[in-house]
Amino acid sequence: MSLLRLRAALAGTARLRGAGIPWSVLRNYSSASAKEKARRNAICERTELLEVLKARVKQLQADPIPEVRVELPLLGDAKQQESLRPAVAPGPAQDPAARPKEESPAWPRGWVEKMKKEMHLRQLKVERTLSIAASQPAPKSQVKVKPESKAKAKQPKAAKTKAKKRQEAPKAEVAATWSQSPASSQSACPRNRPGAAAVKKVAKTQRSRKVLGDKESSHFKVLQQTIQSNLECFLFLQQPEEAERLLLLYHSSPAKRKFLDINAYNIVMRSWARKGHLQHIQRIFSMLESAGLQPNLDSYAAVLECMGRTLVSSKTVWRYVQQLRNDGFHVDELFQKCLFEDDEKEKVLKVIRIVQPNYQLPPPPDPEICTSSLLQDFYSRDKAVSYPKLEFSVEELQERFQQQLEMELDSTVTIESVEATKPLTPQTIKARKLLASLRCQWHDSILQALQKSKHQMSKLKRASGHNVLYPYLCLLPEEEYVGIMLQVLNSLSPQGESLVVLARELGSKIYNRYITQRKLRSRQLEKVQEIYGEYIHLLAKDGQPKEYLPREYWEKLVAEAGFGPSLKLKECSWPYMLLMRLSMHLLELLVQAAKVPRNILNPRLESKQIPVLYHIYSFHSSWQVGLLKPHPVFSQLLSEAAETMLTFNSSAIPMLCPPVPWTSPHFGAFLLNDTRLMRFVDGVVQHQQLLEQCPPVNLHPVLDALNQLGNCAWKINQPVLDIIISIFNDKGNEKLDIPPPISEAPKPPVPSGSPCALSKSQKQELLQCKKKAAEMHSLRMDALYKLSIANYVRDKVFWFPHNMDFRGRTYPCPPYFNHLGNDVTRAILLFAEGRPLGPKGLDWLKIHLVNLTGLKKKNSLQERLGYANEIMEDILDSADHPLTGRKWWMKTDEPWQALACCMEIAKASRSPDPAAYISHFPVHQDGSCNGLQHYAALGRDLIGAISVNLMPCSVPQDVYSAVAQQVEEFRKRDARQGVKIAQVLQGFISRKVVKQTVMTVVYGVTRYGGRLQMEKRLKEMDEFPEEYLWEASHYLVKQVFSGIKEMFSATRDIQNWLTESAKLIAQSGRTVEWVTPLGLPIVQPYYRSKSTVLNCGIQNLSVKNPSSNQKPDTVKQKNAFPPNFIHSLDSTHMMLTALHCLRQGLTFVSVHDCYWTHALTVDVMNQICRQQFVALHSERILQDLSEFMLEKYCSPGTETRAIWQKKLMEQLSSVPKTGELNLKEVMNSTYFFS
Amino acid sequence: MLAGWALPGTAGCRRLLATALAAGLRPLLCGLPLCFVTARRAAGQWPSPGLQVPEAAEAEWLVQQVHGTAVSLRRFIACPRLACTVQRCLQGGASPGPQPVLLECAPGPGILTRTLLNAGVRVVALESNSAFLPNLQSLENSLDGQLKVIYGDFFRLDPLGTGTVKPPAMCSDKLFETMGVAAVPWMADVPVKVFGILPHRKERNTLWRLLFALYECSSIYRYGRIELNFFISEKEYKVLTAKPEGTKAYQALTVLWQVGCEIQLLHMEPWSSFATNLKNGGLAVPKTMWLPNDHLCLVRLTPQQDLFTGGLKPTNSLAFVFMVKQCLAKPKSRLIDRLNSWSLHKGGKLLKELEIPKNAKTRDLYPEDYRRLFEALQTSHLFAETWFHDEALESIRNV
Repeated sequence: MSLLRLRAALAGTARLRGAGIPWSVLRNYSSASAKEKARRNAICERTELLEVLKARVKQLQADPIPEVRVELPLLGDAKQQESLRPAVAPGPAQDPAARPKEESPAWPRGWVEKMKKEMHLRQLKVERTLSIAASQPAPKSQVKVKPESKAKAKQPKAAKTKAKKRQEAPKAEVAATWSQSPASSQSACPRNRPGAAAVKKVAKTQRSRKVLGDKESSHFKVLQQTIQSNLECFLFLQQPEEAERLLLLYHSSPAKRKFLDINAYNIVMRSWARKGHLQHIQRIFSMLESAGLQPNLDSYAAVLECMGRTLVSSKTVWRYVQQLRNDGFHVDELFQKCLFEDDEKEKVLKVIRIVQPNYQLPPPPDPEICTSSLLQDFYSRDKAVSYPKLEFSVEELQERFQQQLEMELDSTVTIESVEATKPLTPQTIKARKLLASLRCQWHDSILQALQKSKHQMSKLKRASGHNVLYPYLCLLPEEEYVGIMLQVLNSLSPQGESLVVLARELGSKIYNRYITQRKLRSRQLEKVQEIYGEYIHLLAKDGQPKEYLPREYWEKLVAEAGFGPSLKLKECSWPYMLLMRLSMHLLELLVQAAKVPRNILNPRLESKQIPVLYHIYSFHSSWQVGLLKPHPVFSQLLSEAAETMLTFNSSAIPMLCPPVPWTSPHFGAFLLNDTRLMRFVDGVVQHQQLLEQCPPVNLHPVLDALNQLGNCAWKINQPVLDIIISIFNDKGNEKLDIPPPISEAPKPPVPSGSPCALSKSQKQELLQCKKKAAEMHSLRMDALYKLSIANYVRDKVFWFPHNMDFRGRTYPCPPYFNHLGNDVTRAILLFAEGRPLGPKGLDWLKIHLVNLTGLKKKNSLQERLGYANEIMEDILDSADHPLTGRKWWMKTDEPWQALACCMEIAKASRSPDPAAYISHFPVHQDGSCNGLQHYAALGRDLIGAISVNLMPCSVPQDVYSAVAQQVEEFRKRDARQGVKIAQVLQGFISRKVVKQTVMTVVYGVTRYGGRLQMEKRLKEMDEFPEEYLWEASHYLVKQVFSGIKEMFSATRDIQNWLTESAKLIAQSGRTVEWVTPLGLPIVQPYYRSKSTVLNCGIQNLSVKNPSSNQKPDTVKQKNAFPPNFIHSLDSTHMMLTALHCLRQGLTFVSVHDCYWTHALTVDVMNQICRQQFVALHSERILQDLSEFMLEKYCSPGTETRAIWQKKLMEQLSSVPKTGELNLKEVMNSTYFFS
Repeated sequence: MLAGWALPGTAGCRRLLATALAAGLRPLLCGLPLCFVTARRAAGQWPSPGLQVPEAAEAEWLVQQVHGTAVSLRRFIACPRLACTVQRCLQGGASPGPQPVLLECAPGPGILTRTLLNAGVRVVALESNSAFLPNLQSLENSLDGQLKVIYGDFFRLDPLGTGTVKPPAMCSDKLFETMGVAAVPWMADVPVKVFGILPHRKERNTLWRLLFALYECSSIYRYGRIELNFFISEKEYKVLTAKPEGTKAYQALTVLWQVGCEIQLLHMEPWSSFATNLKNGGLAVPKTMWLPNDHLCLVRLTPQQDLFTGGLKPTNSLAFVFMVKQCLAKPKSRLIDRLNSWSLHKGGKLLKELEIPKNAKTRDLYPEDYRRLFEALQTSHLFAETWFHDEALESIRNV
């Protein structure tokens, strides 16, 4: 240290350090170590304290009790004494039955409780890191703890926790109840003292009043969720002792008991029930009573199940059945409402039959029918049409089901990549060998690291009572964790990935594996298998049943099999914080354990093990992002090995059998993979809650629509795929949207020696090259994934299960390859089902082709058809010689789909009878400016309706040109009046300038954003004088807005009404909610999120915290409401069309406002689409919205007198007036969707 | 209102002279004065031109006239008293020899400019708002070379992007060429002094950009050790001068500025002493969470003469900046862990050699220690791994 001091003193920069530099250096280091020491001391002291306490307890057992009383007054203030004294007193008088058998503590109950309290106070710390995950707990070491002053030790801690923000209220509560109600400390044995129980009740009611607001906060819920998911873990691990220990930890502390609800107790009961320990369950029952909780059906189910597993007298059974009835339940309800797993139901039934030998299972409830007026026809039984059959027999579908099941059981699929199987060079072979051996080493070292860390945790666990992560590391076989971690290594891009993203991915993989395990263990899979085997009879060509929807049939089968609701798993989501913590822990292990010899590629270097992954920060102005990057040595090895296998999650591959129909928000889509009905951002729970509260029957239309979309079978357009792959494997083609390989990336001009010696421009160029290469890499990988998956299923028929976002817009679940993708992916998809073209089918194909080219947009359908016939030669040439001919298709807007269409036209026109030609080709019909269509219809806006083709017209109307014209008129007027900028703009206003702004107006673009768009367009025009850019764009956006206002007079009113309503709602502290005409409840998930810092070893993670009080983000709530509302309408329109198409036997899929069907059925679909649009807008949509919101936000009883409420009420009731458009005209409009 | 300005007659006369000068008559007309001027210039002192400095209220009025066109928030010295203080601070501690030229960034109404001119300082005024230019230019024309006015923005020097540089953004070489200042070796004396008020919206950003320029010896620092005299917010000053024990304020910025420059506090002035161009005349004091921020601090940042004498070179300094940033991204982490995470395997041994305790946290290290650490890494060839340099290069562009 002296040398350091000397050097520091000699160095010239000492000025800032002031006089005592060397000493400060010294002090600095020693202070760091002093802190360390202090901490260690604190830990020592705390363990010491525990030891002493234990000793004290032992001593007390021997000592007569009065002595304790003598000792107590020594400590703390008077209040504290009060609380402690009675805690000791009841010791000898307790009820032996309520005493835990396992621990069998012979010491007085009061002291046990005190011990536990001590534990809790320490636990508070654990708890904080556990879920609230605030910054590191405050050091508690300052308190000198002497054995005589236990109370003192508690006091400062309690005070400290009190001071903690956010927790303030509940914590203050703790202190209060603790010192005021002596009874709570002996609550484990309440029966013996009615008086004490009464006191407790008073205290409880006081508490519950105070805590009421607190209980609703989502912070509270997250904590509850954490406890429950921990208990679930123990249930899964079949460790009832551990579960009970955790439960007791919370139960015995009055402060923390409020985090336990009946479900927590039920989980523990169930884990004992599985083992058949009736005594334990009985004890928990008595705990329930002491906690003031009512046992619910699940509690009784657990007791009965447990009795089913042991030998009990019928008297005991009677007692519980009686108690169940006394609590207002019915035995039948057990079988109707409880989610039984495994053989639980049989056990319960067996027990019931002990006391009621003739007991019969209750009949399944009659299926409810949706009563929405929009779907009366659809659901009415008498008009029911048989469900369309697939081309497959039951047996074939069964086979496919097995394939899919095997794939999902493996959880990952490894498929061959489409990248050319290049000839193997010796170098490649060597690299692959190296890689294989490295992976072996990593596997072993990661496994070791995992075992070691688990071992440490389990030791720690014994010392401190409870470790948060440990149970989660035991859920899966160790090999699986290692496998998931190794996947990270293999899939990491050379540019690295942000730690948060990696952690999230890793966490969800583990969670999904756990869910799969649970499904296997609870025999849920067996049940699904059984039902599915029956279910496919509805879809198979040789199946009998007909007049059902998939959901109805599935529900019927479940009811018949007597499974009740048991196909659903009990809800068990893990809190986001916990998930992140778990995956961060694993990532850390990965970084530490995976090493590679540095000289692996260059033997001349000295051999040294270096980490494969390194952690580094990247800075973006004021914030920093932690990245994990692979070491370049490893990246190089990977690229040399040029491996040709890709590994995906099984959920990334389209399903090989028809998806499981959605029957509830928790059940549907994949066989095993956990899928949500509604996609949402991590940590947002509101959607899920809303869906759960919603009566199931209201969701039926939405579920049926999703099932309909998911049941569409697909196959691959092989010729097109082959052409695409050949270009992909050649050099790609940026113009055709086939990303070129990395080898085509621009090379930096200078061979990079020491990059620091480069000049500025050279550096810049180097960076440009790197950026470009990174972009190319990600584009290339994306295409590689899509094509490889397509190639993998090239000979198969497959399905895309669907789910939706929070507005009801539907999406296929598999992420990479699906029909929502770009031109390339859409071009390789065909309907598996073929239909003859029929009389008009070929014409529709031709019109579709012209639509794909982007030409002839303003011409009528007839003219488009004529054009197609004119260029027939080009079309045939494209089909026959796509890469060698005239290449007409390459010049179109959507070249690949155009090519596929050319090929289809060629085949059809050359067939002997085109009308009989069986086509698998999907034909699209697009809504023209769909958002404005909905606005125009909502406002019955005549002029607006014409310009977006709601009214019949001989040629398609173009809203953009119309707006441009309007703006031009304004400009002329202003120019005449001498407005300078209007004169400057002469000749610059065109369709192109206004298009983007008009398009985005519907989605709530503001003046600010609109101006930027305008500026961009004007900048693109070279002739436009630059100095007028700002002024001109400002002027233009104003004119476009007023132009739209002129044309869509009602539209702007509606938009403003929606915006203003949302603003007032958000300002009143609530989120905007509404219900679509189909009954889907929607809530806008925009909150002012606070992020909390998750302290992890490798890096601190800032995680958006759903647990802090969520206040709505007013700006987002307000700005997003109009577009979200319109999206909820367009999704409703799509679903209605889908359902009615189903009734007409059509194949139908959608890409939002683009509807697909066979060429044969385009006309029918067009008609249904228009009918449903009219039907939808004939509902009182805005009035219904207004009424719904008035009831929701202004219902009497909540501070009616507040000013904002009055204002909100006025706002919500003043629904904008509408124009006089006759909606029925839409039926005859050709270009409404075309 | 304009009573304080130079008489129009005189100014008109001068302008005539200036036009003549511009017309190429310089050698003819200036034969005699040139020698005179050179002599004075050699002494670094000009005689006071005796300009009248407008009063604060008037200056504020002038400033307010400019707010109409869309400009970002700016702060001005409007009060003559403050101008005097600043002028004294700027000239204080100067060695008796010839004085370098003073580059005044964004003089606005020119209160300080006049004060400086009166004190005999040679000033180059770099003004980014064309609305202020006419007045400054007429002042320039009224003097014979003591003031030079340039249209440009000091805080938009050498923009990072490619493409043409549009004024007021400009390139430093053009600025120095116009100023007539040639590059001097690093070890030489300060060639130019700069005075300015850091625009507070991009205060941090500017400090980082200057820092990169300093370590790379690029931009203004290509011309030698440019001395910066900046008014910065008190909270940033606290960061710049924080000590390791100062925990939160001790950041990468701290270390790098302290290694790179000598930092002197010349003066502290409350926010209220400055005029802003806000319509409501508000002060727009930036918010602060945990550092005091009641003043603007006039800070002198003089690059260290010995900055590049050790292992640190303009060619490898990026890696140094990168290293410090990485280390202090998580100030509570242990230094040894950081080193190991870059696969610098012998980190432990290295620390031992440098006598840095093994469990030292990254925020425990003094700036000088970071320098020593880096130099040790350089000599031990551990840093030869190219990926580290690549990373450094990439990270720099995200300032």
